[in-house]
Amino acid sequence: MGDRRITDHPILDFDEGEVIHFTFDGKPMEGREGDTIASALHANGVKVLGYHFKTKRPRGFYCAIGNCSACLMIVNGKSNVRTCTEPLLPGMVVEKQLDRGVPDDV
Amino acid sequence: MMYDIDLVVIGGGPAGLMAANTATEAGAEVLLLERDGHLGGQLVKQTHKFFGSEKQHASVRGIDISTMLGDRLDSFGERATVWKNATAIGFYEDGVITVDHDGIYKKVKPKRVVVATGASEKFLSFPNNDLPGIYGAGAVQTMMNVYGIRPGHRVLMIGAGNIGLIVSYQLMQAGVSVAAIVEGLPQIGGYAVHAGKVRRAGVPILTSHTILRADGKESVERATIARIDRTWNAIPGTEKTIECDVICISVGLTPLAELLWQAGCEMRYIPSLGGSVPLRNNCLETTVKGVYVAGDVTGIEEASAAMVEGHLAGLEAAASLGFKGDRYSEERKDCMEQLAALRSGPTAEKIRTGLACAECL
Amino acid sequence: MLINTGVPTREQIERRLPSPERRARGPYAMVECFQEIPCNPCSTSCPFDAILPMGDINEIPMIDHDRCTGCGVCASVCPGLAIFIIDESVGDGTASVTIPYEFRPLPEKGETVRAVNREGCVIGDAIVTRVLLSKKTKTPLVTIRVSDGLVHEVRFFNLIDDKAVSDATSLKRKEEPITVDSACASDDDEIILCRCEGITLRTIRDLIREGYTTVDEIKRISRAGMGACQARTCGPLIAAEIARMTGQPISEIQPSAHRAPVKPMPIEFFLGGDSE
Repeated sequence: MGDRRITDHPILDFDEGEVIHFTFDGKPMEGREGDTIASALHANGVKVLGYHFKTKRPRGFYCAIGNCSACLMIVNGKSNVRTCTEPLLPGMVVEKQLDRGVPDDV
Repeated sequence: MMYDIDLVVIGGGPAGLMAANTATEAGAEVLLLERDGHLGGQLVKQTHKFFGSEKQHASVRGIDISTMLGDRLDSFGERATVWKNATAIGFYEDGVITVDHDGIYKKVKPKRVVVATGASEKFLSFPNNDLPGIYGAGAVQTMMNVYGIRPGHRVLMIGAGNIGLIVSYQLMQAGVSVAAIVEGLPQIGGYAVHAGKVRRAGVPILTSHTILRADGKESVERATIARIDRTWNAIPGTEKTIECDVICISVGLTPLAELLWQAGCEMRYIPSLGGSVPLRNNCLETTVKGVYVAGDVTGIEEASAAMVEGHLAGLEAAASLGFKGDRYSEERKDCMEQLAALRSGPTAEKIRTGLACAECL
Repeated sequence: MLINTGVPTREQIERRLPSPERRARGPYAMVECFQEIPCNPCSTSCPFDAILPMGDINEIPMIDHDRCTGCGVCASVCPGLAIFIIDESVGDGTASVTIPYEFRPLPEKGETVRAVNREGCVIGDAIVTRVLLSKKTKTPLVTIRVSDGLVHEVRFFNLIDDKAVSDATSLKRKEEPITVDSACASDDDEIILCRCEGITLRTIRDLIREGYTTVDEIKRISRAGMGACQARTCGPLIAAEIARMTGQPISEIQPSAHRAPVKPMPIEFFLGGDSE
């Protein structure tokens, strides 16, 4: 899935940032420094970020800038994280969200 | 604690940065709130060269303008404070603004406010419009130009306004193929030169066409489009299936004006400006005294106009606090002239009609 | 027409051509900007003042071909990439076109490429004679040589193995018209208006028929617009649907009330607060 990363661009220079390891639904994945959670998932070919709690339809991001909230996921056990703007950090445990989300300490 | 300050600018895009720069330069103490982790707003993904004249940095790419404006704000040192990862979440009638700053709840009570919150992308209704792989055009631009990630292999673009045309071109620059650009109107809405760039690179622009539906198991696999008649109904027999893994929606923007509603500003729905916009006077002050506006939140326009509006709003907000330099009148006149020039051509006719309804104070 | 197709007419092009004498004399700029838009870098950048100053920045650029040397500065600054340098003075049955080309990979000097017209169709072959890079504008200018009969048609080129671009041109011809079951194409149950709360167009239409005709009423009864995005995505669509079904002008449909906070926040956030 490495072909999703742009390496040669006429205007922009993309530095090969440090590799960041994280997991998605238990699967180990690699992102790059500078990624958001959603961009790293997309680079790994993951478009489905969860399923709607009511309609059960697959859910992906729409705006990618923190407006639409279609990208909410569970990150390190915490629900409703806006993954399109949340920076990816080493060791993050990212999971699809299937419900409205629950408070972390319940 | 309650933060007391001369001026709060909400939004660090082209309008907000210009407002903060101008007001700080005039002598005001400024706090800029930026929701993202970096300044520039949507400039950070504009890899194309801007239109306009030298004063609005014409022929410079948006990404480079973003750096220039941010560096200028930095150069003021302590006189301008920037809170990044800071979302203004409430604007109360007593003038208090509540902020989520890096997860910490803060309250600010400024003497003046410039709201430069920009816009959000409109959505479109068609069957399976929520399938993963259906993205706003701006989202695709962010993925490619900020994070360096191709959104897919083959894209169908909905909308032939400037954003639809520019993003189609940028997709090709990133090595993604664009199957077609579909536009409901009988003519192309964006600049002809942008249309020319994508046409010669092999992308058909299908005017008087619409998307009927998207299909795919877990994400987009294909779209069905059709020609439409004058009443926007699909003409039977003209349906076509297009294989694609991304559908990009570029059907316009709408001002992100929640904070203005909360503050009690009088608003008016003006279709040609993208939605509900604040009424304001020729200093860009709204019906709530001390609350100024600039950029797309005043009505959707090009970023060049947003920068000039930011300049004007920053200048006026500072002047109303007594920070009025020798060049105040000159600068004000210059801003007005630049805005008039940017809005004087035939492509800006709708904007002019809309503004006439919004600038009525 | 240009505004329907994005491609200028032959007449528009011909009116821009300099005199035959000037064309025979050496390279010249061909400014293919036919619409009044607020933009003037071509005229302010010309080192020879050949592109006349614009009183109003919306003016269409006018060029004095006696001053123009075909240097290409305007072609590299034009934000619309709408200026080409044409040289018909070679006299050996070929002519050259210089094209602003912002794609990767770049061709090499001497390489054969496919010559493409303004509509994206391949109309012949061309040889790359120069690739000029600019650090400042980041818009490379690529000069290609074509047979002189094609010089007023060719405005782009495809690399011979350029997958991305050739895909875009070839795949459009693969589209086979198909018929869709029209009942299925208008299935309101598959149209989601409010993504956050998962509310379909059918639900919204049923509610409007039942007499819920303001965005706020629909929000209270169905939760549409009450979710995580706070109606940013669905609000305009619901208002448009009310307008369409009730016949009211959309300007009279009030959006739902906007209250703080603009995004959902956990209660503990409000209990915190800073004490700097």
